[in-house]
Amino acid sequence: MIYDIRQATIYRYASPVAYAHHVLRLTPIDRRHQHIHAAALDISPAPVERREGYDFFGNRITWVVLDQPHDTLTVRVAARVAVDRAAVAKLGVTPAWEDVREAAFACADLSPQAPAHFLFPSRQVSLDPEIRDYAAESFPPGRAMLEGAVDLMKRIKTEFVYELGATTATTTPPMSFALRRGVCQDFSHVMISGLRSLGLPAAYVSGYLRTGHLPSGEKLEGADAMHAWVLAWCGAETGWVGLDPTNGILAGNDHVVLALGRDYADVAPIDGVIFAAGRQRIEVSVQVTPVSEARSI
Amino acid sequence: MGLLDSATQEAEDLEQLLSGYYCPLPRNFDEMMDHDGRVREHWRPFLNMLAALGPDEINHRFAAADRHLRDSGVFYRVYEDPAGAVRPWPLSHVPLLINPTEWQELKTGLVQRAELLEAILADIYGPAALVRDGRLPAGVIAGNPEFLRPLVGVQPPGGARLRFYAADVGRSPDGRWWVLGDRTQAPSGAGYALENRLALSRALPDIYRAMRVERVAPFFQAFQAELSSLNRRDDSRVCVLTPGAMNETYFEHAYLARYLGFLLVEGEDLTVRDDGVFIRTVSGLKRAEVMLRRLDSDFADPLELSARSRLGVPGLVQAIRNDTVVMANALGSGVVEARAMLSFLPALAPALLGSELTLPNVATWWLGDPAVRDEVIDRLDELVIAPAFTGELPAHIDRPMMLGKDIDRAGRARLIEAIGRRGIDFVAQEAVTLSTTPAWENGKLVPRPFIMRLLLARVGDGWRVMPGGFVRLAEDIDARAVNLQQGGRTADVWIISDEPVAETTLLPTPDRIAINRATGALPSRAAANLFWLGRYVERAEATLRLVRALVNRATESDQAAVDINAGIIALLGTWDAVPPDILNVKPALVAAAVLQQRELAGALPYLASAAQSAASVIRDRFSPDAWRALTELVEMIKAPFEQGPNESAIFERVNGALRIVASFSGLAQENMSQLTGWRFLELGRRVERALATCRFVRQFVFGTDLDGALDVLLELADSQITYRLRYVMVAARAPVVDLVALDPNNPRSIIYQLARIEAHLAALPKRGDDSRLSPPEQVVTALATRMRTAEAASIDEQLLIDAEAALMKLSDVIASTYFTTRERSEAPWESLG
Repeated sequence: MIYDIRQATIYRYASPVAYAHHVLRLTPIDRRHQHIHAAALDISPAPVERREGYDFFGNRITWVVLDQPHDTLTVRVAARVAVDRAAVAKLGVTPAWEDVREAAFACADLSPQAPAHFLFPSRQVSLDPEIRDYAAESFPPGRAMLEGAVDLMKRIKTEFVYELGATTATTTPPMSFALRRGVCQDFSHVMISGLRSLGLPAAYVSGYLRTGHLPSGEKLEGADAMHAWVLAWCGAETGWVGLDPTNGILAGNDHVVLALGRDYADVAPIDGVIFAAGRQRIEVSVQVTPVSEARSI
Repeated sequence: MGLLDSATQEAEDLEQLLSGYYCPLPRNFDEMMDHDGRVREHWRPFLNMLAALGPDEINHRFAAADRHLRDSGVFYRVYEDPAGAVRPWPLSHVPLLINPTEWQELKTGLVQRAELLEAILADIYGPAALVRDGRLPAGVIAGNPEFLRPLVGVQPPGGARLRFYAADVGRSPDGRWWVLGDRTQAPSGAGYALENRLALSRALPDIYRAMRVERVAPFFQAFQAELSSLNRRDDSRVCVLTPGAMNETYFEHAYLARYLGFLLVEGEDLTVRDDGVFIRTVSGLKRAEVMLRRLDSDFADPLELSARSRLGVPGLVQAIRNDTVVMANALGSGVVEARAMLSFLPALAPALLGSELTLPNVATWWLGDPAVRDEVIDRLDELVIAPAFTGELPAHIDRPMMLGKDIDRAGRARLIEAIGRRGIDFVAQEAVTLSTTPAWENGKLVPRPFIMRLLLARVGDGWRVMPGGFVRLAEDIDARAVNLQQGGRTADVWIISDEPVAETTLLPTPDRIAINRATGALPSRAAANLFWLGRYVERAEATLRLVRALVNRATESDQAAVDINAGIIALLGTWDAVPPDILNVKPALVAAAVLQQRELAGALPYLASAAQSAASVIRDRFSPDAWRALTELVEMIKAPFEQGPNESAIFERVNGALRIVASFSGLAQENMSQLTGWRFLELGRRVERALATCRFVRQFVFGTDLDGALDVLLELADSQITYRLRYVMVAARAPVVDLVALDPNNPRSIIYQLARIEAHLAALPKRGDDSRLSPPEQVVTALATRMRTAEAASIDEQLLIDAEAALMKLSDVIASTYFTTRERSEAPWESLG
């Protein structure tokens, strides 16, 4: 599938911002099963400094400094992305989860995608005994890793209520778990916390979901904003597999990856420090439109 | 007295000193006494000299050391206390003595460890070959919160990641020293060790000299010179980067900054611009190139590290990538502190250095390895299970630990299950039995377990070890952990030299330090605090004078006195020193309210605390005496009135408080060098005094026609004597107004304050190079000109109202010109699917 992605993010500040540093993680890059035809990031007002680079996990980063007083900041993303995750349908049998755990502990690898980075508590994902016990029900002894992960994902999809506004960007996994509600970020954090607390590597992905209705007539949750899902490590052979607990499906051709990390804090689309008094409002609009010629690739 | 007699006397004294120092358990090692109850060789001269003093003199000397510490303002912040309570520095007065042979061995072992840790850091943040080659499990690094991914692949400016290193060591029953923990993040203890040394060497000067104790000053001089040499520009100054006054070791940050001549800065003082880090000062931005970092790495840059940090400097990591600022220690250096790392050091030393560790660490096993895990579970009873990665506070060791046999059955099952699930989170360690050293308690020596922190600094191509240390004693003979927060004490470490030691002072030697009359740029935040300190102290003084005037007339019953007191109370009401509904009660009750009501922003408790808290964040700029004056003021105001707040008690307290304020002013005048910082303190005082005097004149000249009102004004403006010398008559309106408002020679007059303000402002650094008046100068000059051209007889109330408005504007303009006013907020994201 080929998609055109358009995203506009507008910050409106109550009082002018004199000076601002921002980190933007909004440019998609080539990844496994994903190719970028074109991507552009437009920032207004124009930054006095702008620098491009990559973070530890390989995500594209744009650092900007704004030194003129401004009361709005607009960031626009335009990208054309080809996705081909047909391979996910052909996943073979994965090892027992206990073997995946020992393999992850023993893995002599510190490179960015190594499982060791995704085993431990991180800034926004604590390990919590209640989430652990909940996750453990999906992993009886000897069960294949992916089977257990899919089961956990489907339980979250079924047992949690999708509700905008029930949580915020800083809600912790134990809080949304106790509420049994939230949005994509909360579901992903809960699932990651559950997997890690059993010793299983799990990563957080930010990205986009195709807008509009699927051929089946269903509408995916979270398509009008940025989306988030989970990567679970299924052993050295299978590697990382994307699971979307918000929709209860494997990440496939409807999912476009933007950035990945240990949790939301690693991939927050816009981070920054501004020098200003007063509050701010944020408006975000996202469109992910299939390009009709897409069938040809 | 014959020789024999004196020897007998000596033996008797010693016996008395040692009585009750029971022979330690055969399993334990005691530093002073061997297993047969004999005093070890290197302790003998010390004990003989101590014994010769006799118990009374010993108590007297030790009390002097405590007084020295208190007078120097050494304190320890109790971390858990939300009110930020502090307690006196707990010095145990008997030093730990180390003989030269043993010290040599410790030194060699410590330098080797420092080199090993630097090599490991270089690999972790570089090629990561140790992980690839299977020498270090990936989880030991990836699971460590101090492994800072944005620093991977970044070359450390200045070439080294580790520049200041500390090891906590203890001695096992067999007499060997072991490292219990490495401190590589931002080790504390150097300043405390210095203070302990100062206090003790002053309390026992004769013994200290006679004992040939190695001096620590040369170590600090070398460290200071080393960091200074990393500056690439002559005008840059080494900074001590502190998380601020709420940190439990803030005293030490301020102390080291003063001692080493470095600039104490907080994250808020710094900004990153295009090509480097700059300090916001009252003279504009000044470059910073070297930082002694006492702020934990993860808080250092909200942009690339913890986004929640309010203490850091946005862009600092990028400045480091750009090779513009040296961090001592590098960001991320804390990764090798982890307990889990201790399991691998013994094998890494031969691999990286080609030699075995000569100073081993306590045996440790990381439980991420299944084979190790099973073995540990079999031996659980005799081992300590602890978190794999450090998370504790700098002054603690081994707090969150459990000895296997102390855990109940259910807890044990839970622990084994947790280890089975995520062994990567745990280490097992050999239980440590610490050796004991003497402490002085109730007139006797008693053995106490301890750990010793030793400090090292990188100098040139090698390492220097501080010949001394910082000992923490447990209060309990059986303690396995030592914890200052829970009442432990500290002690000095004396390294006994074979040879005579050079008589160096702890103060920097003049020949090594270039003369430097300017102390460099004043950070804006420090300037703001000095200014507000000046204002608070002056407002406290004005309020105290009003209270005294009130109490002076409290017993008079004629209507004039009653009305004058009503005027004073009204004035106190306008600056929120009394509750609004208090107007008709007895003067003594009003005075008591001013002295005691905590919730009023104009009452004394608030003013004194506000002055103290402004001063507390600029401790590095204060003489200990000035600090003590403020502390005394706060304590005096806080103390309850024993006999209730009667007039004489109030009078006494007000006079006492005014004396303290006067001594603070004197100390500031006489002991602070008259540089930029002093000028801001002065500006605050002069602005506040001018404001108060305007209000006094308005109230007692224009607010009333009562007899005696002018006398109150003279009293408040402390000008009665001058008036009597000049005019042989009762107070009359025009001469009083002239003296209190317009006389340029009366140090209490309004115009005198304005002249001082003009002089201070003119002496401040100019921000542009044009010759125009600065914005605050414009305000004060306009006001001063109007006052200077006024006649006493023609001054009206409006002029005073205008003057007050101009003074308040002046304060704001000083702030906007010289202080950074900045609020910051993050940019949260709220729209996710």
